[in-house]
Parts: sequence; C-alpha cells; structure tokens
Amino acid sequence: MKIIKYVLIAAVVVLLGGETALAHRVNLFAYAEGGKIYTESYFSDGKPVEGGKVLVYDGENELLLEGVTDKEGFFNFDIPKIDDLNIVINAAMGHKNRFKLKKSEVEAGE
Amino acid sequence: MAFFFWKKMRREGQKHSVERHVFNSKKRKEKMMRTQHAMLFIVMISFMALAAAPAWAHFGAVIPSDDIVVQDDDKNLNVQIKFIHPLEGHYMEMVKPRQFGVMHDGQKTDLLGTLQPARGNGPDQNKAFTFWTTDYQIRRPGDYTFFVEPEPYWEPAEDCFIVHYTKVCVNALGLEQGWDDHVGLETEIIPFTRPYGLWTGNLFTGQVLHKGKPVPFAEVEVEYLNDSPGNISVVLPPADPYVTQVVKADANGVFSYAMPKAGWWGFAALIEADWKREHDGREKGVEIGAVYWVHTRDMK
Repeated sequence: MKIIKYVLIAAVVVLLGGETALAHRVNLFAYAEGGKIYTESYFSDGKPVEGGKVLVYDGENELLLEGVTDKEGFFNFDIPKIDDLNIVINAAMGHKNRFKLKKSEVEAGE
Repeated sequence: MAFFFWKKMRREGQKHSVERHVFNSKKRKEKMMRTQHAMLFIVMISFMALAAAPAWAHFGAVIPSDDIVVQDDDKNLNVQIKFIHPLEGHYMEMVKPRQFGVMHDGQKTDLLGTLQPARGNGPDQNKAFTFWTTDYQIRRPGDYTFFVEPEPYWEPAEDCFIVHYTKVCVNALGLEQGWDDHVGLETEIIPFTRPYGLWTGNLFTGQVLHKGKPVPFAEVEVEYLNDSPGNISVVLPPADPYVTQVVKADANGVFSYAMPKAGWWGFAALIEADWKREHDGREKGVEIGAVYWVHTRDMK
C-alpha cells in the first residue's frame, strides 16, 4: 500500500513537473529575396520546428509582426521595413533563438 | 629547448655536489648522474631523429579558418590546401590541384577556379614552397565538406607517385546534416564520429572506402598539425614512431583513434592504386590516400 502511494505521488510529480526536454537546440535562419523575408526554423538534426511562434522586431526593438511556422518550419512574409530586423523563434518549452538580418541584407532583397 | 634542459641538469648536478658531504651523498650523486645521462640520451636521440631525415609522413591537408560557424561569426572562411609533414612543419611543392570543391546539402560545387597560390615553409626549411588558399562565403545552414584531389606528386624516395584525396568538414548555423555524406572520390574516409565539436581525448572513428567499398584492414597513419592555431607547446617527438602513428582498420575498414592534444589531426589511409603513371618514360606505382582532418579543443 505504501509503495503504491509513493509510486502514485512520483507519477503525479513527474507528470506535473516534467517538461519534454527538447534534445536539440532550436535554430532559425532567415534571408531576404524578391520582396519577401523567408524564415526556416529547424532542429540540429534537420527536423522542422512546426507551430513555433516567430516575432519580428525592427532596429529599435519595436514588434513589427508575428506569425507561426508551418509543417516545414517555414514562415515567410513581405518585407515590413528596410531596417535591421531581429527575428525571434519561440518554440515550445521556452526554447528560443534569434536571427539578425542587417538592413543592407533586407535592402538587397527588395 | 632540450639543450637548455640539459644545461639545467648539469647545473643541478654541480649544486648537489656541495650537499654531497652533508647527506647520503654517494647515492644522490649516482641518481643525479643517471638522470643526466638519461636526459642527454633523449636529447641526442631527438637531434639524431631530426638530423637523420627519417621517413616523415606526407599528408595532404585542407584546413579551414573555422570549423564551426555560428551566426555571429565571420561567414567568410579562409581554406588552405597544402602538402606537408604536419608534425615537422615541412612543406612540399604543390601544383594546382586537379579538383577542389565543397559538398553541401548533397550538392557539389566546383571551387578550383577560386584557388590562389601562396608560399610557405617550415621553421627549418631554407626555401618557400607553393600551397593554395581560397575564401568561401557560408550562406545556408548545414555541413560543408571541402575536398581536394591533387595532381600526382612524384616522390623519388619511395619511387612512386602520391595522390591524397583530402577532406575536412565545417558546420554552419546549427544544422548538423551532411557530415557523413559520401563525396564520391576514388578513395575517401567517411567519418563515423561527427567530425566537429570534438574534445581533446575524444575517439575519432572513420571508415576507409575505395571506389565506394570498405577497405578491410586498411593502414591509417595519424599525425598532429604542430602549427595548429593556438598551439603554444610545440610537440617534440621523443622517437620516430611518435611522429606518425599507425592504426589498422578492421574487416569493415573501420578504424578509431583517441586524440591526445588540442588542434588539428590528420588521418591518412594509404593504399596502392590499381593504375600506374609514367615518370621519365617508366611506369610507376601510385600511392593513393584517403585523408580526413578534424579539430579538437581542450575541455574547460
């Protein structure tokens, strides 16, 4: 009886506190081409990050737009502003990363 | 450096000769003499080894300025292509290679036209030799394997030609894919250990292929690049076998080696080609080598 009690407590603790630790880091890669910004979010083993939140900030850290990555880890959008862009990926369980696009690169992709 | 050590030992010997009369002097003196003789012996062997021009191992080398490129790094890589004795530091004259390129995401890109000649020499070479360099811009994430096929090098000491098909892998922007792809060279080493992010002491495992098939019991030579960037303690080999080590692959052509120092390590699996080449009107054998370079770092 005591053992079962402890096992149940342990199970509850695990279920409540346990987070699926992502084994791999989340990465984001972005480039500007043909008037659009293309972003790709991926794990180190190449698997796409699906359903990740993407936030796009300008050079003054103002939020310009946000979106969600699709099944292939892509989130593309029209160039919102010719400026330094700080693109942040916010995946599950607090896994974040960012990619910085320089103003010159954004301009070149217009 | 060893000479100064020897001088120091002699000075210590003289210092101890004063204490001789105070302690159990005879035993101490004998011990000091033995140590001095041992040091002298080591120094002599080193000098003999260096002076006697033993068969230093030739290695094709492809060394990038960075092997892990992260977002904030300079995405411009400088890649050097040379034919050298890695531990000793000697260069050998290298003509423009037959083939040089990079493989990324399954695609090969020819970079032969971007190669620029440069001159270099080892610390005790009195003339300079040609090697090759290029600058390559990393754009997309993934593994980049640079590969070279040199022109056959005539080695009179071994009465044969030498062709080292050499590869090195650079990882970019967090995507660790492509490092174990086959380039498709006549002979090549396929890494079985991811060839970057390696610590000093890690085991590197690889498979030797010839025409795409494993080479059972291939002999692989291993050598350390003494002028690895950041190497402040030059390795002085205490005896010949320490210059180039040898490991033998198993029946599947798979070999392993644990790297004892931080810096660049070269692995060269040497086999006899099934084709010949003419030199001075006579048919000569060709030693082809599958060479792979990896970089280690001390764990801190």
